Amino acid sequence: MSNEHDGSKLDLERFLVRYLAEERLTRRQLLHRISVVGATAALAPIIAACGTSGASASPAASSVPTVAPSASAAPTATPEPTPQPTPEAELFVYNWTTYIGETTEKDFEAKYGIKVTYDFFDTADTQMAKVRSDGRGGGYDVTYPASTEIPGLVRDGAIQPLDLSLIPNARNLGQEWANPGYDPNNANSMPYMWWTTGFAWDPDKIKEDLTDWTVLWDARFKGHMAMLDDVREAFAVAAFRLQLSPNTTNEVDLDAMLQLLEEQKPLLRTYTANDIQDLTSGQVWLTHAWSGDWGQMLTDKPKTKYVVPESGAVRGSDTMVVLSGAPHPVAANLWIDFNLDAKVSAANSNTTYYMGPNAGALPLIDPAISGDPRINPDKAVLDKLVELLELGTDLDKYTQRWNALKA
Amino acid sequence: MIRERNRWLTAWAVLTYAFLFAPIVILIVFSFNVSRRNFVWLGFTLDWYPRLFANTELLDALFVTLRVAAIAIVGATILGSLLGLGLARLRFRGSGAAETLILLPMITPEIIMGISLLIFFGQLFRQNGSIGQIGIAHVTFCISYVAIVVRARALSLDPRLEEAARDLGASAWGAFGHVTLPLIAPAVAAGAMLTFALSFDDLIVTSFNSGPGSSTLPIYIYSSIRFGVSPQINAISTIIVAVVAVALMIAWRLGAFRGEGRRPLAEEA
Amino acid sequence: MTAAPAARIHRRPVRDRLTALFFVVPGVAWLALFFLVPLVIVFIVSFGTKDPTGHVSLATPGFQNYLRAGRPEYLTAFLNSLRYAGITTVLSIVIGYPIAYWISRYGGRRKVLLLILVMLPFWTSYLIRTYAWMIILRDNGVVNGVLQAIGVISEPIPFLNTDFSVVLGMTYGFLPFAILPLYVSIDRMDQDLVQAARDLYASGRQAFLHVTLPITMPGIVAAALLTFIPAIGDYVTPDLLGGAQTTTIAKVVQVVFQSGRDWPYGAALGFVLMVLTLGGTFLALRALRRETLGAR
Repeated sequence: MSNEHDGSKLDLERFLVRYLAEERLTRRQLLHRISVVGATAALAPIIAACGTSGASASPAASSVPTVAPSASAAPTATPEPTPQPTPEAELFVYNWTTYIGETTEKDFEAKYGIKVTYDFFDTADTQMAKVRSDGRGGGYDVTYPASTEIPGLVRDGAIQPLDLSLIPNARNLGQEWANPGYDPNNANSMPYMWWTTGFAWDPDKIKEDLTDWTVLWDARFKGHMAMLDDVREAFAVAAFRLQLSPNTTNEVDLDAMLQLLEEQKPLLRTYTANDIQDLTSGQVWLTHAWSGDWGQMLTDKPKTKYVVPESGAVRGSDTMVVLSGAPHPVAANLWIDFNLDAKVSAANSNTTYYMGPNAGALPLIDPAISGDPRINPDKAVLDKLVELLELGTDLDKYTQRWNALKA
Repeated sequence: MIRERNRWLTAWAVLTYAFLFAPIVILIVFSFNVSRRNFVWLGFTLDWYPRLFANTELLDALFVTLRVAAIAIVGATILGSLLGLGLARLRFRGSGAAETLILLPMITPEIIMGISLLIFFGQLFRQNGSIGQIGIAHVTFCISYVAIVVRARALSLDPRLEEAARDLGASAWGAFGHVTLPLIAPAVAAGAMLTFALSFDDLIVTSFNSGPGSSTLPIYIYSSIRFGVSPQINAISTIIVAVVAVALMIAWRLGAFRGEGRRPLAEEA
Repeated sequence: MTAAPAARIHRRPVRDRLTALFFVVPGVAWLALFFLVPLVIVFIVSFGTKDPTGHVSLATPGFQNYLRAGRPEYLTAFLNSLRYAGITTVLSIVIGYPIAYWISRYGGRRKVLLLILVMLPFWTSYLIRTYAWMIILRDNGVVNGVLQAIGVISEPIPFLNTDFSVVLGMTYGFLPFAILPLYVSIDRMDQDLVQAARDLYASGRQAFLHVTLPITMPGIVAAALLTFIPAIGDYVTPDLLGGAQTTTIAKVVQVVFQSGRDWPYGAALGFVLMVLTLGGTFLALRALRRETLGAR
């Protein structure tokens, strides 16, 4: 037997040698066996994954979804007053990170007993590519597209109409959200959050009070400014300076906007998607930013200021939709309803610093957010804000110039 | 003069290691940052480590990533090594075409490879993404790297060694197994390490081939890029580095690295 | 030192062919199925157009996308990519060769361990490593902080968002891709050859230039391939560490695909990039073929 020498490492070696001797193996043979077992273990997932036909992908560690029999009936509302269809056991949500309340997911799971699998995407482009990959949602149930995408998604059959009988909380919607132009009667989507796009700055570095887009062309701040790396948003700023519409497709107008942006480029530090980081880390003093981003900046740099210029600014909103190929449509509709609940919507806003469309939620939102006219401008300002509309193939006119600008 | 070269070379090596590990040191330090956004240092905390174990999405992503990497290593190493060996040793019609074929995946922009597999699996097989699909994609782009490294090594092998073994009575397979394989083993191992590094960090091809529940760590991390990557990610990376370092030490103690000690130059003087 | 296949014992051609098939077919078959077939599909897509609903339409196939791909503004982006990739490759090899050599010669029993240590940083997330570089290089980052603290400078030096930071980040990212093949090749070299040269009164430098370097050339070529080619396609590093003035062609392709949602055009652009890269690589390889693969 082994003497108990110092340290277990000696015993390990001794054990190994004894094992090899007893089994009449050489180290190489042992290694070979281990690798065979390892290879089989590694290949098993491929074989298992290829075994599942069509339908949804095999989830990583979660159990196989069990679809309740009633859910295979049509997800759309049946005319007679039937009891609520039984929700499925799982839900696949596809969203931005940090775009939901801290406990929303867990609260939903607790309330309905539905397991939520939550996946993230980094840009709207990735989201659209994935969702449109098979034309029916890429295997997901719910996602959060920008409102500008809705007409296209409906046209292409990528999303399915909502089952409004499962979404009683829709009555909480503020007046201006109940019947939006991009989706009459909210047949296909429910509004989620909305924002403005302005600019933010560090008052320690820039002492004066800034008010208008012209400051982003100010040579005094050369090398310390950033613009959003977003073609529509960047051109929108130029449009507002020239008093043009950010949705124009007029080539002459676009050339003028490009000209203006080209004058700006040498003054910029960068075109960024990381405006939050760039400002809080001190890389830039002044940046083009979304209102929610400014909210995030405040946690690290509480003095950061933000303004929505009066000469014009963009307003946008995100929505919740059920994808047409959703494996769990009932659960999907319940999720949407859940997020329209006043308390949940307020919790979402308090975490994300964006405003929701929920009139009932308003009193529950942190007054620092709801009371701040920069996150929640009053109606007079709101009316002057412009929504970016879908341009279809005309988008090329923008991207062509954008590529030329950034080259 | 040999000693002088020794000193400069060692200094350079130390500098290179410092270069390699400088960001890792920062990474570890910032895993203790109070700030959730982790852009600026705001204070010290140990909180992120326990919180990371409660973050099921992050842990799931990690396990998915490791499983995919395992598939990639097994597939790419086997197929790539065979390919590299074959191209180095044997002359056959079409070897030129095969050599070009190896280069193609490396030249292909990742986004094209990602989209091509998305369409391939999506339209032809009605698959919406899964661990297996990601695994297949990773094997596909890693084969080339392994093949090139193995081929480079096999090219400098003397084929007469294998023939000598055959002359001494070994079967073709015996000669292969006892002579050639051990000689290219370092290249195969290098290929496996490259594959792991490539697979572990891959974003673009993976994001096009992932589906519900099969998000990998890079997908999880990149999705937070705008809002700041939580120190939890630093924490998990620190843990990974620590685990591997400890495993290495144990393996070393067990004598795993009793390699072919070549006579170092210095001893010859 | 070039292998001399002619010295092979004559074998029966049938077995040789079979052996060749066994080795090569699995890899080739896999690539053919999972790489070539999907690629052909995208190639077909590149002849289509994006119809108004955003779908790919093959109703009017033609070369229009390829004609659009020849726009002059892409030239700058392409040259940027070439520049970054080229400098990165050279730097990676210059930095990587000495350490690969050092590990091989002085590593002794710890060789493999040292090699794994080289790879260790790369088993963390690429993004956080890049963020770490941002923390090191930015205006109020580590380097500037130290320099200011010891009084060398009074104003921060803008390291970040420049060509310098991009090349630094890319070199860092591709270093192990260079070190591994270099090591594999250097380690194989027979030290006796160097010793023989020294015995013949060659200086250390001459021994290196005329013996070591040529013998390890396959490793250098492999390292160059494994660095340069992927580096042209790297758009994340220039994106994060670069500034407003640095766009790469890889980023252009990505923007066309994702923001522009124009898959046919993006595919065409991507294929043009592939052809250019492939052509350039072939030319470079042909030039080195004499020294590396020998007269086969």
